[in-house]
Amino acid sequence: MRSVLIFLMFCIATCTFAQSDTTITLQAITGLQYDLARFAVKPSQKVTIVFKNVDDMAHNLVFTQPGKRLSVVETVIKMGDKAQATNYVPASTEVLAASKILIPNTTETFSFVAPSQEGVYPYVCTYPGHGYVMYGAMYVTTKALPPLSKDSNIPPTRQIDTPVEIVSPHPFPLEYPLIYRTFMPDCGPAAIAVAINPNHSYCFDAGKCYLRYAWTGGFVDNTAHWKGNGNALAAVKGIIYFKDKVTYPLRIGKADKLPEVHFKGYSLQKRLPVFSYTLDGIAVKETLKSLIDDSGLSRTFSFGKPTQQTLYFVTQTDDGIVYKSSTGKWTNGVLTIPKGTTQLTLTMKRQAAAHSVHHH
Amino acid sequence: MTRPISLLRYFLLIFFIVSASTYVVVAQRDTITNYYETEQIKLPKGLRAETGGLDFMPDGRLVACFHLGEVMTYNPKTKVWKKFAEGLHDPLGVVAVSNSEILVMQRPELTRIKDTNGDGIADVYETVTDDFGMSGNYHEFAFGPLKDRDGNYFIALNVASNGAGIRPEIRGTYDSLSREGRMYSCVPYRGWVMKYNVKTQKLEPYASGFRSPNGLGFDAKGRLYVSDNQGDWRGTSPLYHVEKGKFYGHVASLIWEKDFPRIKPLSLPVEKLDSMRTREAIAFPHTEIAHSVTQPLLDNTGGKFGPFTGQMFIGEMDYPRLVRLLFEEINGQMQGACVAFGDGTGLLKGNNRLVFDKNGDLWVGHNDHGWVGDEGLSRIHWKGKVPLDIMAMNLSSDGFDLTFSLPVDAAVASNPSLYKFQRYYYKYHRPYGSPKTDIADVAVKEVKVSPDGKKVSIKLAELKAGYVYDLKMGELKTPNGQLLMNRAIYYTLNQLRK
Repeated sequence: MRSVLIFLMFCIATCTFAQSDTTITLQAITGLQYDLARFAVKPSQKVTIVFKNVDDMAHNLVFTQPGKRLSVVETVIKMGDKAQATNYVPASTEVLAASKILIPNTTETFSFVAPSQEGVYPYVCTYPGHGYVMYGAMYVTTKALPPLSKDSNIPPTRQIDTPVEIVSPHPFPLEYPLIYRTFMPDCGPAAIAVAINPNHSYCFDAGKCYLRYAWTGGFVDNTAHWKGNGNALAAVKGIIYFKDKVTYPLRIGKADKLPEVHFKGYSLQKRLPVFSYTLDGIAVKETLKSLIDDSGLSRTFSFGKPTQQTLYFVTQTDDGIVYKSSTGKWTNGVLTIPKGTTQLTLTMKRQAAAHSVHHH
Repeated sequence: MTRPISLLRYFLLIFFIVSASTYVVVAQRDTITNYYETEQIKLPKGLRAETGGLDFMPDGRLVACFHLGEVMTYNPKTKVWKKFAEGLHDPLGVVAVSNSEILVMQRPELTRIKDTNGDGIADVYETVTDDFGMSGNYHEFAFGPLKDRDGNYFIALNVASNGAGIRPEIRGTYDSLSREGRMYSCVPYRGWVMKYNVKTQKLEPYASGFRSPNGLGFDAKGRLYVSDNQGDWRGTSPLYHVEKGKFYGHVASLIWEKDFPRIKPLSLPVEKLDSMRTREAIAFPHTEIAHSVTQPLLDNTGGKFGPFTGQMFIGEMDYPRLVRLLFEEINGQMQGACVAFGDGTGLLKGNNRLVFDKNGDLWVGHNDHGWVGDEGLSRIHWKGKVPLDIMAMNLSSDGFDLTFSLPVDAAVASNPSLYKFQRYYYKYHRPYGSPKTDIADVAVKEVKVSPDGKKVSIKLAELKAGYVYDLKMGELKTPNGQLLMNRAIYYTLNQLRK
């Protein structure tokens, strides 16, 4: 009872400002870059930044006034050794908001109110040496953003709409959607890599029967796996925006009981795979499609016959994804799917691409 | 180094004696190209032809799968290659079910692949069985499928290599008892031959003790043969006659035997393991005839491929040849001899997969993946004339009977000095491979040529079980000058006739 009360209080508290705030999950990743090269918020919107450092170096995240990125970076350099004490953030009106210096594998959450003035507000890592290449752009606007390829506010390496055309390693041209069964990182040994299009891909675990992770920016490079003894894994080309950290998302009857799964294969509909598997004997078909602008995935689950038990879809609330479902009710990141369901569509939208977190 | 030189002298001597005594002048030497020819099939642009599997569809199209996951069809009449399926994980075997359906063994599963909308491209990939473990170790290849008379499928599962570890996430129950050793089995049923029962739709463990069983085939009587590669517990590359419930020597897989005690197989004395194992029907002496044998295949062409119908061939990776197998049943056990085939026909190396077409031509899929070999696809065609070759090597009570495809010149063949026998064995032990052990020459006591000239009976000074009998012959020929195509043959003598 007590936990229910706490949950209700939490819900009341969050619901009061849920209409206008936004949460952005931003990661410092390998190669002196942020996973998001840009994102958009509305003027005067409350912005919560979940900043994760998944790189193996220290980084911070500093938001500046329009056009002041290099000025802030150079001010920090002039501060010399003293800068460390202030997390490499100068006391300056040019700074809008800033994180501390994060060591690898740490997270900091901080909030600020977006400026009322529309404009492009840079964000940058001011750790010495990083600021010239490690940056991005916060658009404060309600309007559409320019194409990535024409956006001079983001690093030149990120100014690409679609990845470079890859030469086919096969005796036929590459067509999308494209599938490789291969050895994938962070997955069981029976893995299926799928490129829905040249930019948007995901990894499906054919042993454990669920979506493991999804990324944008390219597909996989099998070169190392295909040569030599095959010990090397395929390399993910692009930036992973979602990773399922729940042991297994779909549950039958009880939300805390893992089902027994069996993989049954897939069929292709215009090259797009429809996976078949069973969960505690229930036949499931799952199709994953890309949302508009590759802003996330839509997953359609079809059941062989109307479900006879309550099903649950368990998510981790801080996974950077806004979930919506065609049926059922969300409670604390757990979707309850009523008996008698034959089909369910779940959309998984990247938070950075969403303007509102509100879905509960 | 002295042996090959003395052997050469010996052959030269024989050659001069034969030439001088019979006054035969051979204008043009009789070679294998008078009987067989090999053609390289033109490949589609962009194909890395590391062949994992070959079969023919009922309509005569070849279906082939390759290391990079493609399944292609080839129409021999129009010479057109087409894509059938793609994206598979290291497919190492294919069986055609119909003109629109195949079965493929890939790393993670046996898959049924179908074109259901008739556009020539597969759109359904059904998992037939994935009921076996994967540690993620690269060496866990999966071979097969081989369809039996009742429609069941045999597959074979490699063990892992200690050249690499296992992945953080595995499939199947982990067991560490066999992690020691050069090759290990830490998930079920690595190192086993498995049978997929079509009635129960279950994958059943069939026989244990395998290392790298890259080849499964049936003989004319439906006996199952599975090849393996030289390595730990493999003194030289073997071919096993595989029967249900038996253990074939590589120890790592023993832990998945029902009721096997909770002990490390490597802790058992070699003598104990030796007594548990079933020996190979044929051992292929390393470097003498083969380094790495592949798929055994029955010649079921009814004579369209020459005189060897009913016999089996097996592929070989390191040499540009195949090997022909001459079995016999002794005291209820299969054993026999192996002899080279195809030397000098222009065949490539890397002879990984074999299949006959309806016309009796033998198609060979090449592979050089991570090994010596070649890439590509070849077709061997019999030109219609019978070569002089060995048709059988049968154990007698005191030696061997050799049967030839044509009558031999009795004057030549009756000379005992024409036949040089050695015997040796390969150790059954944990280290990689084995030297020839206890090598000894075996004296020829007597040679008799049958009245029809087709059989030569050789009496030896000694016959000993547990040895390979290595016979090198001088230049035998027919009365009209056709030469013996292969003059070395190796008989695996597991059992003496009782």
